[in-house]
Amino acid sequence: MSPRELVKRIRSLKIEWIAITDHNSMANCDAYEKVALDAGLSFTWGVEIQTAEEVHLLAYFDDPDAARCFDRQLYQSLLPVHNDSAFFGDQAVIDADENILRFEEKALINSSVWDIETCFNEVSAYGGICYPAHVDAPANSILSQLGFVPEMPVFEMYGITAGLDVSSFIDLHPYFRGKALIRSSDAHYLDDLGSGVSHFYIDQPSCREMLLAARGEAERKIEGAYDPGALGFGVENSGSPPAEPNFGIPTK
Amino acid sequence: MIKLDEYVSAVQAVNLTPAIDTTGVEIRGGYVSDMLSDVMGSARAGDAWITIMKHLNVIAVASMTGISVIVFAKSSVPDAAVIDRATSEGICLLSSAKSSFELAGVLYRMLQA
Repeated sequence: MSPRELVKRIRSLKIEWIAITDHNSMANCDAYEKVALDAGLSFTWGVEIQTAEEVHLLAYFDDPDAARCFDRQLYQSLLPVHNDSAFFGDQAVIDADENILRFEEKALINSSVWDIETCFNEVSAYGGICYPAHVDAPANSILSQLGFVPEMPVFEMYGITAGLDVSSFIDLHPYFRGKALIRSSDAHYLDDLGSGVSHFYIDQPSCREMLLAARGEAERKIEGAYDPGALGFGVENSGSPPAEPNFGIPTK
Repeated sequence: MIKLDEYVSAVQAVNLTPAIDTTGVEIRGGYVSDMLSDVMGSARAGDAWITIMKHLNVIAVASMTGISVIVFAKSSVPDAAVIDRATSEGICLLSSAKSSFELAGVLYRMLQA
């Protein structure tokens, strides 16, 4: 997805806050951040990490420098497998003007050698927040890989897919009752943007505030998990981490 | 049905839970999977479970499904916390250099014999 096309569509959907969470890399956050900020959107650096257990965890950082440092550590932890571009496509790193800066050669589709707990601890060490992605998904979710949510680490929120019927899900998995659920589009294509959003009632779009909202502290809250149809129109600081473009490929 | 000790020598496995007395332990069947949600739904009591998944949840899943033997393939060895939990639950953990495919093949042949 081209940053400009993405931002244009985000604006037309009246979404105010986005995050980009490519698979195992934040190499394109720089470009998307620049375009998003220029358009007056709030932007958070994010990444979808595939752990050793093949569980997808989302990580977000308020500080881009910390995010870059984390990204280098994460990159080192990825299995040394070469990307098969004929099968998976090129992994382009782009700038804000959609020029291709380089191609990432390591296969980002693979797992990190970090297990879930190591991942969580690494993200925390760099000041980020981390939670399981799409817990209701049949693949690469904490439930599909581990059967149930482990005792450790303690997550403060859980990602859900764009169209999930939360009440049926909670009937099946009562563990999630009362937990902070973050609905997001997990969009890989422009058309999927805005298919799932969450409304954050917070002071500013930051990970710190997101945590307060997840805990329901200081009058912060998260809404939207229960009504997938609702978009963030007119809601102060509503947002939708994460949009997930394909790895930086400018699309038509 | 075969004896666990026979399987241990057949696949040259290392017993990671030596505190458990294996003399009476038997294997009735086998299951191979690394997705715990799948194991929870499909493995049967008495199965030996062959996997490379090393997360602590494997012990809970084994306990839930009545699996008393877990075989870690490709020389995988879980953390001490996992081994301790298995020992306290009475679940035998083995580690073998063989792949899941070979471990299952040997087990299948022995069970058929």
